[in-house]
Amino acid sequence: MFKKLLIANRGEIAMRVNRAAHELGVETVAIFSEADRTSLHVRNADESFCVGPGPVARSYLNIPNIISAALISGADAIHPGYGFLAENARFAEICADHGLTFVGPAPETIASMGDKATAKAIMSAAGVPTTPGTDILASVGDALAAASDLGYPVMLKATAGGGGKGMRAVRTPEELEHAFATAQAEAEANFKDGRLYMEKLIERPRHVEVQIVGDSFGNVVHVGERDCSVQKPSHQKLVEEAPAPGLSDAVRSKLHEVALSAARAVRYASAGTLEFLVSGTDVYFMEMNTRIQVEHPVTEMLYGVDLVKEQIRVAAGEHLSFRQAALVPRGHAIECRINAEEAAHNFAPAAGTLSDVALPGGFGVRVDSHAYAGLAVPPFYDSLLAKIVTHGSTRDEAIDRMHAALGDTRIAGVNTTVDICRRIMRDPIFRAGGFGIDFLPALAATFASASAVAR
Amino acid sequence: MNWDETLERVRSAAEFCASAGLTRFRIDEENLAIEVRRSARVPAPVAASAAASPNGGAAVLPSTNGSTPHDEHPASVLKAEFVGIVRLSRPSVTPGTVLSEDRELAYVESLGIRNPIRSGGPGRISAVYVSDGEPVGYGQPLFAIEA
Repeated sequence: MFKKLLIANRGEIAMRVNRAAHELGVETVAIFSEADRTSLHVRNADESFCVGPGPVARSYLNIPNIISAALISGADAIHPGYGFLAENARFAEICADHGLTFVGPAPETIASMGDKATAKAIMSAAGVPTTPGTDILASVGDALAAASDLGYPVMLKATAGGGGKGMRAVRTPEELEHAFATAQAEAEANFKDGRLYMEKLIERPRHVEVQIVGDSFGNVVHVGERDCSVQKPSHQKLVEEAPAPGLSDAVRSKLHEVALSAARAVRYASAGTLEFLVSGTDVYFMEMNTRIQVEHPVTEMLYGVDLVKEQIRVAAGEHLSFRQAALVPRGHAIECRINAEEAAHNFAPAAGTLSDVALPGGFGVRVDSHAYAGLAVPPFYDSLLAKIVTHGSTRDEAIDRMHAALGDTRIAGVNTTVDICRRIMRDPIFRAGGFGIDFLPALAATFASASAVAR
Repeated sequence: MNWDETLERVRSAAEFCASAGLTRFRIDEENLAIEVRRSARVPAPVAASAAASPNGGAAVLPSTNGSTPHDEHPASVLKAEFVGIVRLSRPSVTPGTVLSEDRELAYVESLGIRNPIRSGGPGRISAVYVSDGEPVGYGQPLFAIEA
């Protein structure tokens, strides 16, 4: 096992990794920006280094300062969390060059899965069903030809994309030229890579993903699926649950089997997630995330395993501590992301200082959060303040428990997603389960107009 | 870069220095170093020199250390830009050391690279916040200098 782990992240995930490391008897080193000097993740670590000013490019993405902090503190491994450097193959290589273990898969795996078009080709070759689509499009002309082959509607996607950026749904040839230009510009601005490809748009799909964990001895298990169909218009997830409600046993086993063969195809040796679109009984591989995900606690609550500890263990060269047969889901788990956002204004990020924070607790309730009264929410980072996770013996019980937990949640000083999450828990379509990713955009529109009336 | 361009760079550096309330400001580039020093009482005196700077990355952005426009000797604080180990340069300075000209006070060793910390001109050391061999993080105060 490692002696000392540097956690190259901030907020709740840095605290999550810090806890796992301490449970394993591993010392921790936090990094922080000048804007995060008073953050809880800094206080809870054994040592800490300021690595730069507030903007991420100069702090949480400042590779030389992060590596230097790891070396002078005597750390032997770096955990990247999610976001920031978590899926940066070059960073993983640089860690290795300095004798530091990167807690994640091999740099080649990160690189091949990070390029969506390459990932799709690899998965397709491994027999994983993928959405009909194209290679990189050289021009609008290529795009027009490809769209008429695939048949409208189609989806333009950035090959370096993620988080809904550089994606455009296109329903007619007339829309395509403008959509191509804007998606390309957005991809260029966000990922410094404007290359686009096209896929057939699967109408009203569900977003279902499968958690996998592998070790360096070739063992790999799936830890079930999560339904992440409650997505903002930007395609960012807001509510996740496991198991996915209303899936037939056949579709569920197909997802698990496909995920396992995909993981084996790339000799995956870490925690990772395969995202699928599900439409009826069809499943299509969307992308593989080569990191621990925001919503991993849903799976942990359902299966009673600690995914972050397992991820650290396998990175340290240990065997997986559980076999497939030992992984049995129990009950139902739901997560709500409490973000500093204005739900009534298209989830625009809100910055400010938290004047009051009371987080829920009690039986079957888990809260992962770095929030405290007095915390200044800087404008530079992700808006996530807390993840509230409830577990129940049934889906209904988990939902009711979440509704009550959200009722106990008080965060003042910035607008948050608490109210809209509470509204979702009472929504008949949500309670019925099995809805598509069009659910939240429709509900958010009525939420916005209701808020306007209330004013 | 021709002389007009150089003058323009100096002018904008001086304007930035004044607008940001800085008393010292230095830019190090491959073949140009611009340093602006400003006393609170006199209009910004400006110095520019064309010099080969072996390490362009070690710009030091001092801040006014709570000084007001009425301070006789406003102190500026030199801070670390890089996470690394401080190595004090010889002869090492202590509080009270008077510097007659710009010199290297220390360097921060980061990933095997020496990132020099320079006084930026003459002055009197009013504080030394670090000791030789100490690990430092970004923005950590290293020295305070009075003009």
